[in-house]
Amino acid sequence: MAQVENPARERILARIRAATRSVPSSRTAPDARPIFAPVSGPLERFRAECAANATECIVVETASERGRALADLLGGIPEGEIFAQDSPKVRRALALSGTRQIRWSSEGAPSENSQAGVTLAEALVAQTGSVVVSTACGGRGASLVPPVHIVLADTSQLAPDLPAAMETIRRNGTLMACSSVCVITGPSRTADIEKILVLGAHGPRRLVVLISRESD
Amino acid sequence: MNAAAEAFLREAAATAANGELHQIVRKGVEHYDAAVERGRARFLDWEAARQRCRKIKREAIDRLDLYLEEFERRVNERGGHVFWAETAEDACRYVTDLAARAGVRTVVKSKSMVSEEIRLNAALETRGIKVWETDLGEFIVQLREEPPFHIVTPAMHLTRRQIAALFREKLGGVQTEDPQELTAVARRELRRAFFSAEMGVTGANFLVADSGAIAITTNEGNARLCSSLPRIHVAIAGIEKVIPRAEDLALLWPVLATAGTGQAITCYNTLVTGPRTASEPDGPEEFHVVLLDNGRSRLLADPEQREVLHCIRCGACLNACPVFRTIGGHAYGTIYSGPIGSVLTPHLRGLAEFQHLSFASSLCGACAVVCPVKIDLPRHLLQNRRNAIAAGLRPAQERTGFRLWRWAMENDRRFTMFGWAARFGWKMARRAGLAGTALDPARRWTKAREMPEIPRHSFRALWRKTHGAG
Ligand code: SF4
Repeated sequence: MAQVENPARERILARIRAATRSVPSSRTAPDARPIFAPVSGPLERFRAECAANATECIVVETASERGRALADLLGGIPEGEIFAQDSPKVRRALALSGTRQIRWSSEGAPSENSQAGVTLAEALVAQTGSVVVSTACGGRGASLVPPVHIVLADTSQLAPDLPAAMETIRRNGTLMACSSVCVITGPSRTADIEKILVLGAHGPRRLVVLISRESD
Repeated sequence: MNAAAEAFLREAAATAANGELHQIVRKGVEHYDAAVERGRARFLDWEAARQRCRKIKREAIDRLDLYLEEFERRVNERGGHVFWAETAEDACRYVTDLAARAGVRTVVKSKSMVSEEIRLNAALETRGIKVWETDLGEFIVQLREEPPFHIVTPAMHLTRRQIAALFREKLGGVQTEDPQELTAVARRELRRAFFSAEMGVTGANFLVADSGAIAITTNEGNARLCSSLPRIHVAIAGIEKVIPRAEDLALLWPVLATAGTGQAITCYNTLVTGPRTASEPDGPEEFHVVLLDNGRSRLLADPEQREVLHCIRCGACLNACPVFRTIGGHAYGTIYSGPIGSVLTPHLRGLAEFQHLSFASSLCGACAVVCPVKIDLPRHLLQNRRNAIAAGLRPAQERTGFRLWRWAMENDRRFTMFGWAARFGWKMARRAGLAGTALDPARRWTKAREMPEIPRHSFRALWRKTHGAG
């Protein structure tokens, strides 16, 4: 292995140890001062944050209504392949979308010309209006390569804030099971030209979250 | 004076007089200031957030060996490779050898200041490998064949008109000046690169010890494409990037976003723990992390300045700095510019060659006020100055001048005498027509500024007149 052939590792570590040997332990009492105001009303907060970060958020009552909302949405998306996470939930939802050509994540990566990616989420974050996805949600490209990313979720997945979302990930062992996790907040963007905001820089131009109040 | 210092003075003087550049930089910085004000208002207690971030970084830096080893162990467990690079050359050699072994012809890169520091692009290009910078700002400055102007917003110094002209010249057929359409042009161009590249190179904003994950923050999604589509993903990071726990990110992410751009959180905060697993539909087959020392462990050994390694490269101190705002990022002649660049560069590339940067500051302290990890930048500038003087790196006339100054300041009579001599001397010099000539010691200052009229009487004389002696 590379590190065995590389004596630099030992030299760097030896220098670090020599440099930090005399550093006193910096352990201090944990600082309990609140940094953010606590989130009350996670769904309302999530919707407000989505509005601010250009995520389209649609809230419905049941899972089947969510499926119909998905069908409506896909109706407005140009012809061509839809890439979808291969899971029973997504299959049930897409069953309502008629005859669209679908490539499932079990068949490989999304192609360059996929028109939309449909996935589930690991969690939603109310504080920032974010969606947490992992490679279990159809892989890395599903939420990235197509110009539209559609997320199917329910309100039970709402974490009030980022610490809670990170805790969910830890509890579920997501970072152990998956090679990548991403906290997504709004569609891809850039302001590199004169600080003017442009959506759809390299990733999706649209991020749509379909939330049902009822979990399925 | 060495070549770097001479170039700095020349470039700084030129950009300080460039009104067009000031206008665009000012526009960028004002936009940023307003966004940051809104961003900070989202915190209940921004000061507490800074303190906690500082604590997190301090905990990691003080026990850097343990956290790095833990990080390495976990990356290895997941099938990734960790390479420890002592120098820029070692890091470049590892990446270029890897690319050569795997038959890589095209590399896509997301923004990484460390890759600029080690000059990776040049190293890859000499091996005949095509490198695409994929962050829009980096793509623009790469087309212009110049270094990034700013560590967060690399093309801050350019107008849309200039960018449009650049695209027209280099990419052909571009007839627009609209930022949206220009972005679309770059997207199309770079999509092709993403799908053909065999290797993706990214930086890492954080190395998470307890999860063996690298954390990358981007708005555009280009780092995600770099780490998803090519067969090999290489992440390069300084050893100081390690943090203890994944949960620390719940604070570091919003703080980095707020200090960096004023956003509540950056669009994509990605964690990568390894190559694709057997059950995943996509992702790279190989995952490599290059841990770069390149002078950092030496800086760690300096108890006064160790905290400089807490820096999360948010760019806030650049935006706040009146010197940066006036001379821009390129004049520094270094990879890291602004206050953090002036503090850090002497440690990375030698005090002798880069001590002059620590003197190009009024020590106004604006940088320390904005730094999200509370690095006392002005103090480090002063320490660099002291070290430069102790090492005999400053001109003799400066030393003599300050000795004289001190001698005069220490005694009331001498002070009065000097004040009188200075006023008299200035008047004589003007009368003799020496002002502005090579014999005028104030020439450097008055070249671009009006010298105010010297009053007939000194302040002390006026005071005596209105308040009486004593
Ligand atoms: S020194 Fe502080 S303000 Fe400057 S880039 Fe680093 S973290 Fe940001």
